[in-house]
Amino acid sequence: MIMLPVQGQHFFGPKALVLSVIIYSCSLLVFASVAAAADADLKVGETIGPQNWQKVQGMVGDNFLNRIKQGYTFQIKEHKFYTPLEEYVEATQKYSGKVTLGPHGELLNYVAGQPFPKIDRSDPEAGQKMAWNFFWRWLGDDYKTGGATKEGKIIRYVIEKDGSERRADLVSYFLFPRTRYTLNPKPAIPGYEHIDFMQLRIDSYPRDASGTTTLEIRYDDPNRPDDLYIYIPSIRRIRRATTTQRCQTLAPSEFNLDDINSFNGKITDFNYKYLGEKKVLGNFTEEHVPFNRKPGDYLPTDEKWEVIDTYILEITPKDPNYCYPKKVLYIDKVNWDTVWTLVWDKKGDYWKEQFAFREPVKLADGREVWSGGTVVIVNVQNGRSTLVTVSRAYNRGYPATMWSLATLQTIMRGGSVE
Amino acid sequence: MATKYGKIPFWIVYSLLMVLFSTPSWAGILGDDWEKFFREKVSFSGFVENTSGVSVGKGSRFFNTSNRFVMNRFTIQPEFNVDMADWSKFFISWRFVAEPRYSMETKSREASVTYFPPQPVRPLIVDYYSEYSPVPWEAVWDVSPTDDLKLRVGRQFISWGETDGFRLLDVINSQNLRYSPPAAPNLFNLDETRIPAWGLRALYTIRPVSNTILEFFTLPGALDNAEERVDLFMGTNDTNDRKVRFGRWSPHPETRLTLAGRNAFGNLFANPLNPTGCSGAGCLVIPNTRRQLPDSAESWKVGARITHSIGKLNFGVGYIWGFNPQAADMVFKVTGVGCSNPNVGACLAGLAPSVVNMKLINNRTNIFASQFNYTVDQVASIPINTAIRGEFAFYPNQPYNISQYPGRFGLMASANPKFPEGIVEKNTLRYALGFDRTALIPFLQDDPWRPFRMSFQIFQRIILDHEDGIHPFGSAQRISTVTTNLTFRVSTGYLGDTILPDVFLSYDPSGYWSANPAVTYAPPWNEKISLSLIGAFYGGHNKFANLGLFSEKDSIFLKMRYQF
Repeated sequence: MIMLPVQGQHFFGPKALVLSVIIYSCSLLVFASVAAAADADLKVGETIGPQNWQKVQGMVGDNFLNRIKQGYTFQIKEHKFYTPLEEYVEATQKYSGKVTLGPHGELLNYVAGQPFPKIDRSDPEAGQKMAWNFFWRWLGDDYKTGGATKEGKIIRYVIEKDGSERRADLVSYFLFPRTRYTLNPKPAIPGYEHIDFMQLRIDSYPRDASGTTTLEIRYDDPNRPDDLYIYIPSIRRIRRATTTQRCQTLAPSEFNLDDINSFNGKITDFNYKYLGEKKVLGNFTEEHVPFNRKPGDYLPTDEKWEVIDTYILEITPKDPNYCYPKKVLYIDKVNWDTVWTLVWDKKGDYWKEQFAFREPVKLADGREVWSGGTVVIVNVQNGRSTLVTVSRAYNRGYPATMWSLATLQTIMRGGSVE
Repeated sequence: MATKYGKIPFWIVYSLLMVLFSTPSWAGILGDDWEKFFREKVSFSGFVENTSGVSVGKGSRFFNTSNRFVMNRFTIQPEFNVDMADWSKFFISWRFVAEPRYSMETKSREASVTYFPPQPVRPLIVDYYSEYSPVPWEAVWDVSPTDDLKLRVGRQFISWGETDGFRLLDVINSQNLRYSPPAAPNLFNLDETRIPAWGLRALYTIRPVSNTILEFFTLPGALDNAEERVDLFMGTNDTNDRKVRFGRWSPHPETRLTLAGRNAFGNLFANPLNPTGCSGAGCLVIPNTRRQLPDSAESWKVGARITHSIGKLNFGVGYIWGFNPQAADMVFKVTGVGCSNPNVGACLAGLAPSVVNMKLINNRTNIFASQFNYTVDQVASIPINTAIRGEFAFYPNQPYNISQYPGRFGLMASANPKFPEGIVEKNTLRYALGFDRTALIPFLQDDPWRPFRMSFQIFQRIILDHEDGIHPFGSAQRISTVTTNLTFRVSTGYLGDTILPDVFLSYDPSGYWSANPAVTYAPPWNEKISLSLIGAFYGGHNKFANLGLFSEKDSIFLKMRYQF
């Protein structure tokens, strides 16, 4: 039996402090056992490049490794740990004891917090439980993706194989109405107990796309598909769409609906296998958001990388026609967010490779938490890549009415809703 | 629309303002606070566009210009967003359009639309399609006094329904049908041809989780130009002031009614003064038409609806009261019959043509509206993955022009003596059903997971208690109890969505079709630029049917757009 560490924040209350110390100590023990080896191989300040690419083999995606072999060089830096958030830890302590898995992998008796803080490695359902831990990782009560960037929006670049680029700006608002830790009402907004999350995504640039808005609602009922409404500015009307074909490319990017936040599929639609643990390279303190890079390339030029302990989770679809027959997530042990995401196609060929930088952001009360920084997905088969800068602003206190069709009807060109 | 004053100064002044407002230097002049406000709260965007078109055939005798250059339109649309506060936002835009008119086209129109008695017709004004009004295209102030209540005040668009290409419940704003050839949403979409109106829209969210929303709108109409309170339609002769009011996508002025070698359109609505003793031209009835626009004092439009979701079903019911803006629903109303000759005796003797005075009116109507959408994922384990949508509009006592078939004097139709005003009122139901889905067709794609988006729509109009002889105001083609239009649209993207084909097809089972294919190139090196090659093709044997109220002039367009 191992105790998996929960994700990070400062601790205040005495009970929470004790609990956090226990959890955190356990996590450090886990890290210590594996970090020692890495420390021996990779030292802070060490430069990695074509001369010593072997040192990071297996710690990065194959495509990224090839880029190192071809000349990409970077330095190793100290890893930053984010301590678990007090409210999340308390909710985990309070509610996790009653959480179980249903016959189809659905979550039963879940209220809030991490569903399965303790997972037995030999448990045949360990992968399923990890998937739920990943799904219910702390992401605030609500957040605005792109809200913590200088521009206040997501900046997306689509890069062609020849290096030509197109930019798009958008914002995305998430609300978790039934797992609220900080904002009232807690732990759920009355009437919304059946909704896992709601997302409002609004394009704001270039002009012809601006105002295009999608409202997506994820229900806790494992048999109920998501609701998806799209406001189309060119006809100024709301259209309904099905969400069952989640594999479709969100062109021109290389993402699809299930690639959002690395994996956004309905948990019960997939099978999961816990593959073990691994040290990988990532960046939890992105210095420049978005990071500096050469025009036409997706690699950061002056960011340092750090060694991060991860769980490896393999995801395979229950639907044989699903686009990704195998997707592997490298999930940070502390905050349960992904560091690397690798995808293979139906022929078994390596298809897509994604790495996600993180950065520290502050809550309204000054506490530091992590956020997504710049995320890169590379389609190694067609050579196209997509970069998104997704810094989140958490706990903004948005009213639930914002995620309604009334909002879509009042979107203007430019796409402002706040 | 076009006005006769100061076009060039307006362009200069507004261009300067656009530049100044979009640069920090202007803000700097106003001080640091203003600079901060402009930098953080004001965003500027818009587009510049040129659309050029040529006809691929010389067209019919109604549009036989030797010059096949049918469009060369320059448009600039600056837009400002001002996010004043979380509860208050402002959006304003202008639309400036300049397009030269071609003398050959004008001459062609003069030749084709003049009918008995021959009289000089004023040429079309050169800048007929130009817009350079200082009045904002859109100017709305969005206010949210509470989280549940959203108000929008100003010149705006209000669109109900979900149909594409054609509209069914989207009849709150009027449409500029002179702007674009019909059934060509790939050339100019509904939003580009819709005319904004001053008004208020309120949305009150009763229960957000079920999207239970109460909506109310009111458009006073008095602040809008009289001709823009209803559709700027495709054209008819106004023989009262001898101005030719035709768009280039205008309908045929004739209706296959000819008598003594002349257009006998007026005979649809009235008999000559001496119907029994007339001969030759004396049996003709010349239409003397006058467009009657809704008066400013009575052109209010109000509406309300409530929407709600139950499970996967989202639906709404509503009501609209006001003038029906749709051009196809207009009717000629006979106000009297006179003589073309100063000596009335010539008509009474059956020697000179009579003149029927008619006014072309929009009806004030009540529209009972409803709509729904629903997603079907699987049926009996078969993946359907289709979003179904429906719209219904009930028009009580919808007026129609009616004539007698077959007509007198050997004509296909002539005036129906039962209806001296030429109008009959019938309850009418219109509905549309749409089926939207995406499909993966890997062998047609470079990216097998880039979907094809497909949409199929059926539109039907059902005239309850139908009466034989009902016809559109502008032609003698009878309207059946049920009329149907079918549309199909498919679009996708290739090479990372740099090549974007989109095809819109429509078909009227009574004998007409249109095709509006387009392919857009979005260069991978600049997201601001797009180049579109668009076709607008029309065919079928029955050009006077539902889709056919226009000159069949197949054309190809090149649209170049730069967004800023």
